Amino acid sequence: MINDIFNILLPHFILGGFIILLLVLSMILSPRFYRYARIISAVGISGAIVCLSTVQTEPQYFGFKNSVMADSYTLLFDFVILACGFLITLLSKNLVRRHKRHAYTFFAILLTAIFAAMNIVSANDFLTLLVSVELLGFSTYFLISVSKGYLPKEAGFKYLITSAVSTGIFLFGVSYLYGITGSLNFSAIYEYITENETSFIYAVSAIMIILGLGAKLAVFPFANWVIDVYKGTETTVLAYLSTIPKLAVFGIICRLLVFPLSNSFEIVFVIAVISLITALWANTYAIRENNVKVILACSASANASYVLLTSSLVSVYNLSTVIFYLICYAVMNIGVFAYLNMYGDDKSFDVSAFSGLYHKNHGFTISYAILLIGLAGIPITSGFIAKIYLFTAIANSGLVFVPFLLGLLLLTVIALYYYLKILLPLFQECDKNTSVQKLRTNFSQKFVVAASAIITVLLGICPEMLIELCKFIAYNI
Amino acid sequence: MSILLSLPFLVFFPMVISLLVLSPLFTSNEVVLRRFSKGVFGFHFLYTVLMLVFFNSSTPYAVSINLFGMDWIQSMGIKFSLRTDAVSIILVTLTSFIFFMAAVSSKFSIRKNHKFYYSMLMLLESAILGIFTAGDMFLFFLFWELEMVPAYFLIGGKFMENYEHQEEAKTSAVKFILFTFFGSMFMLLGILLIHYYNFVSNGILSASFADITDSTIPFGIQILIAICLLIGFGVKLPIIPLHTWLPDAHTNAQTPVSMVLAGVLLKTGAYGIYRFNYEMLPQSFKVIAPVLAVLALINIIYTAFVSYAQTDIKRIVAYSSISNMGLILLGLCAVNQIGLSASVFHMVSHGLVTAGLFMIAGIVYLRFKDRDINTLQGVATVMPRLFGFSVLIVLASIGLPLFAPFISEVLTVIGAMNSDISVFIRFSALFSLPLLILSSCYMLKFLHKGFFGTVKDEYLKVNDLSVHEFLVLASLLGGLIIFGLCPNSILGMIN
Repeated sequence: MINDIFNILLPHFILGGFIILLLVLSMILSPRFYRYARIISAVGISGAIVCLSTVQTEPQYFGFKNSVMADSYTLLFDFVILACGFLITLLSKNLVRRHKRHAYTFFAILLTAIFAAMNIVSANDFLTLLVSVELLGFSTYFLISVSKGYLPKEAGFKYLITSAVSTGIFLFGVSYLYGITGSLNFSAIYEYITENETSFIYAVSAIMIILGLGAKLAVFPFANWVIDVYKGTETTVLAYLSTIPKLAVFGIICRLLVFPLSNSFEIVFVIAVISLITALWANTYAIRENNVKVILACSASANASYVLLTSSLVSVYNLSTVIFYLICYAVMNIGVFAYLNMYGDDKSFDVSAFSGLYHKNHGFTISYAILLIGLAGIPITSGFIAKIYLFTAIANSGLVFVPFLLGLLLLTVIALYYYLKILLPLFQECDKNTSVQKLRTNFSQKFVVAASAIITVLLGICPEMLIELCKFIAYNI
Repeated sequence: MSILLSLPFLVFFPMVISLLVLSPLFTSNEVVLRRFSKGVFGFHFLYTVLMLVFFNSSTPYAVSINLFGMDWIQSMGIKFSLRTDAVSIILVTLTSFIFFMAAVSSKFSIRKNHKFYYSMLMLLESAILGIFTAGDMFLFFLFWELEMVPAYFLIGGKFMENYEHQEEAKTSAVKFILFTFFGSMFMLLGILLIHYYNFVSNGILSASFADITDSTIPFGIQILIAICLLIGFGVKLPIIPLHTWLPDAHTNAQTPVSMVLAGVLLKTGAYGIYRFNYEMLPQSFKVIAPVLAVLALINIIYTAFVSYAQTDIKRIVAYSSISNMGLILLGLCAVNQIGLSASVFHMVSHGLVTAGLFMIAGIVYLRFKDRDINTLQGVATVMPRLFGFSVLIVLASIGLPLFAPFISEVLTVIGAMNSDISVFIRFSALFSLPLLILSSCYMLKFLHKGFFGTVKDEYLKVNDLSVHEFLVLASLLGGLIIFGLCPNSILGMIN
């Protein structure tokens, strides 16, 4: 037991300790000390990152009676999740200033969400997975509805309902799987699947499990929440919402597809169709929208569908492309929301409200533009490389998937249209009488925007190192 | 000498300078910027001429750049390799020349945002040179996509006070970028499929043009790939149903930008067909060539009629470009040596002609604020020098002997007539001959309706050509005459 903690769970326990510390401080400190909450949470996350070095990955380590595991794959995901968490903590300065009374609680919940995300990735048992997914869902619900007003409450409620229903579907699938295999443990299920003939009901259960988890990614049957939730959520929380739950859920979906759920054609085909429907819905919905947050919501859903399609076509090569895409995507998304955070949460997010911002804020607007064209997949950005790398994976999976690939490629043309819709007003000429505001920024926002833009460009120029790393991780799963 | 001649320098020099110009440290003084840019483009042109002079087709320039000891994307077999053969070095020189001319002629048409304009022009040059010199499919695709960004800003940007077509320019820029992206996505599909099937059938994980052999790829797949690629290039070329972005973009952009777009950008499509379909997938190209030849014929005849119906002088020139690109496509479809060399030769001569025609249209618009040939008249009486140049360039574009287009048009038709692939190609060649008459119809209409007649009183004091404009038109015309007199300078290189 103690061995397990020191071998794989030390980062989790560090985070847990800081969660308890923050909760205690939230009860005893007066709101005047709200500043320190951010520092404490940053220290906690850094501590967890440092403790990642203690995790034993070679060979794979199974702890707590096979219910959690660690290998280089979980280590990478843990690292990326924690790094995103660190950047989000940096971004939350304005948010906690507005909600001084809840500063400590906010960070406690943020750390809980990170904790849950890490736990999802390292789960080796459907029970652990269920508990972690629920924990992630509830923390996200609290984070979404942190601010006052009608829209955040609506957003939070919608998220809660969707996540409850999707968990129901997930559990349903798990119960079928338990009925077939008689176990909840991934390793045991995998053993059973390899030894016995699988039935139709097995494919159904696998698809239900994927769909239930897919709600967190805004994939087709549970995609509608993403619009209202993004509209009503603060940008800091959006930076969280568009990265950490996605990383965690993709982390576990890829692994589920690789080893407990076998790779049968029915499963792959159904998931591919679902992804295509999601991409179609998200991209076409965004055309008529004028709210930047809603457009980004659609883009999040669309990107998730590309990745889901690729990860369903299981192979080592595809897995490496998925990991690379997720990392590039997380960097770009955090940068985009950091810029929106700079712009201010209390202002209008209509595309026309951004017009001419370039003329007063050259550097940051250019960084933002780089991140957006990265999301659209135009060189010289990591988005271009990531998209090509991802699409090679689909092209390599056989002629059956060429129509799907063509569909996705054509949908990215539509995607370019709505990214341009966000991008173009920034550079618009303004009349003399309308004054463009100079954004009020703080150091951490500047740092996040600049760093993510620089990383995006660097990965676009020389991606090979990260790709090698992703391949190494994918081979070792 | 060979140490000095470096391909990466050739391609990335304008890009580096463009970043320098865009940076806030660089001056925003209009005169300094203009002279500096002219110097940069002039230097670049001299450098390309030097590379052309020392070009040797037995040892073509080739270089592969390694980052930290690894290929660019090693896991997919993608190398950052640049290389040239005879066709690409000719097109590189043409590109550099047209950009130099465009930079010189920017003095009067660009009145605002100089910094941004020149930096985007340089970036566009880098991207186009990258397309012409890429030695790897994905690198080609990277430059192909990269070129959209500066081209978008150049078409839609605001470079003139009170430009009456500003809003139209913006929408046509969006149209341009969406069309191009649509095409390039099909192209990407084609590239991905070649990359994969070449790996499966030949066992080489590589995306270099040199490593692809089509003989072992299943034939059905080859046809699929070829069609995907052709849709991609067909948007740029343009092939007829995919052409609607072109007249808008070329008409509403500023004059130097139109020169670059028509003179160079369209040639990237033809170059792509040559590099991918013609050279890399010859089997499938032979099957598709008859269909393409018929499409090329439709391009030639249909747009010639459309061009005749236009009243806007820039639109006439834009449609005539589409018509001429059809001829280039026909030359490629012949799949023989004469057709290929004629096609490349026509790229050069049409590049020079169309740049000249757009320049003339731009000069007229600057002076008269009008592009409609029904209301525009009497230009010849107030601008005799411009009239002289216009007559010569229009005659060149019609295909009069002594000028380069005559040779290239005739050779293209001869090449297509000699094609032994299909009777359709020979028929297309036969039926494309009326182009010579049709082009004289619309071009002479351009000349006589716009230039003759009595000028309105308010335009009596219009100035004739300035030194800059004179030099640009004279050098374009000089190029046309030189290549018309000694066509073997280009044809010999390709053979």
